[in-house]
Amino acid sequence: MNIRDLFVYRGTSTSRADVVLAVCAFIGFIGFWYAVAEFEIVSQRYLPLPHRVVTALHTMLTEQNFIEDIWISVARVWGAFLLSAVMAIPVGIWMSSYRIVGTLTEPIVDFIRYLPVPALVPLLIIWFGIGESSKIAVLWMGTFFQLVLLIADDAKRVPREFIEIGFTLGAKPRQITWDIVHRSMLPKIVDNLRITLGWCWTYIIIAEIVAANAGIGHAIWSARRFVKTPEVMAGILTVGIIGLLTDQVIRLAHRRMFRYL
Amino acid sequence: MTGDTPFLRVENVSKTFEGDGVQHPSIHVIDNVSMDVAAGEFVVYLGPSGCGKTTLMRTVGGLETASAGAIYLGGEKVTGPDRRKGMVFQAYTSFPWFTVLENIRYGTKYRDDIGNAEKEEVSRHYLELVGLKDFADYYVNRISGGMRQRVAIARTLAASPDILLMDEPFGALDAQTREFLQNQLLEINREERKTTIFVTHDVEEAVVLADRIFMFSARPATIIEEIKVAEHITGERDIASKETEAFFYLRNHVRDLMRREARRTEELAQRELMAPEAKST
Ligand SMILES: Nc1ncnc2c1ncn2[C@@H]1O[C@H](COP(=O)(O)OP(=O)(O)O)[C@@H](O)[C@H]1O
Ligand SMILES: [Mg+2]
Repeated sequence: MNIRDLFVYRGTSTSRADVVLAVCAFIGFIGFWYAVAEFEIVSQRYLPLPHRVVTALHTMLTEQNFIEDIWISVARVWGAFLLSAVMAIPVGIWMSSYRIVGTLTEPIVDFIRYLPVPALVPLLIIWFGIGESSKIAVLWMGTFFQLVLLIADDAKRVPREFIEIGFTLGAKPRQITWDIVHRSMLPKIVDNLRITLGWCWTYIIIAEIVAANAGIGHAIWSARRFVKTPEVMAGILTVGIIGLLTDQVIRLAHRRMFRYL
Repeated sequence: MTGDTPFLRVENVSKTFEGDGVQHPSIHVIDNVSMDVAAGEFVVYLGPSGCGKTTLMRTVGGLETASAGAIYLGGEKVTGPDRRKGMVFQAYTSFPWFTVLENIRYGTKYRDDIGNAEKEEVSRHYLELVGLKDFADYYVNRISGGMRQRVAIARTLAASPDILLMDEPFGALDAQTREFLQNQLLEINREERKTTIFVTHDVEEAVVLADRIFMFSARPATIIEEIKVAEHITGERDIASKETEAFFYLRNHVRDLMRREARRTEELAQRELMAPEAKST
């Protein structure tokens, strides 16, 4: 392909070129980081060299039981995420199916959705204590209400003709919900779940920083107390890597599952 | 009218879409329409765009409720959509997550009159009838618009409805594909003899397909003429019927009616745009 095409307004690209450029951008970013740290444009106390972060991560994993923190956070995130999903999907579809349900629930859901999750953390700790249930509650509060509206919206977007065809082929509402509405919006559901999972990682760190004695957020916060900047950054990096990996895996699964798209 | 019940009876049907009193005014769409359709008949609703053909057809199918009057299918009042009234829309409604054959098979899914083995047989029968045997395993997003409409027709027929309601099914297709599908529909019709209501605003399409045309006025739709095509174009119908004397005669006659109603539709649209409630929005 021609390099020039990349500079054309709304021009095209190839996936090969995209990968090459993505790698270049990454290398450029690390290089810039090295330069800033190496020449102490910012003190290394605040911005350690990149490889120091990697070494810190290695030490944490081998000597400080960081792997356990990772598992705990992953378990919390997936627990809350699955809970949110199994509740939000049917409720969202239900909201779109009957006006009465939608009209009654939408204003409340919309209101709660705008409550900032960090502000809810103290309240949830009062209610649920500092154990696992409060972590799950924070994540659930932060995702359920968002997800339920996204699902309801996607369900409403299922073409009306699909549903009418269902009726004229003899389907009952329950069958239409399962055979047509759910099936038609399934790719969108998977997309929304992927996005929701990303939010969960934001909220888990907040929850673990505020009150926890294990988890990635806790590890980051403990390292901060002794200004161990490389460890703090290693913790952040871990979250980033886990997020990126899960996202890519789900995208891949999406492509596999919905070949017809 | 004779004493025995007709297959389909449309009895003094009127339809007004109630406005919300704010932004949308009420629209009187159908005005006192009555007709009887015999079993096996192929009826075409012809009229200018926006006159109310779709609304009337949807009312027959139970997807809209009449503001006045009633519809009877097989002597039974129509109250909602079900498997007895099969539909094909202009928009592509074959399901993208299914292949061609899976789409057609879906048409048999809710049938309780036949078993699984027979459902499979029926699906394959209609797959062949619409000439898509070689594309059975293709996802519908990969096939052409014309093929997608054939899938939709096959799927509806597979459900074995009493009446087939088609709303401009070929409206989005190019002229050649459209003619090809008209021919195929005539073939299918010869084989199936399914009572059909076919909506179109294409005069030639109406004349070549119909046993009987109901010509509708500009909105609100009333029947301005009933054209008994089958009495003029007799015998086997196919695309060659378009070359007959009778076809030319009917086409010209219907075209004149259409031109007049289209002009009235245009005038109506202009008047509505200039009406005070429309100006403010
Ligand atoms: N659900 C609806 N609510 C309000 N107005 C409608 C609705 N459906 C159709 N109409 C109006 O009714 C008129 C007739 O529509 P339609 O039956 O689709 O006409 P046709 O199929 O003959 O083109 C149009 O002016 C259209 O805007
Ligand atoms: Mg129409």
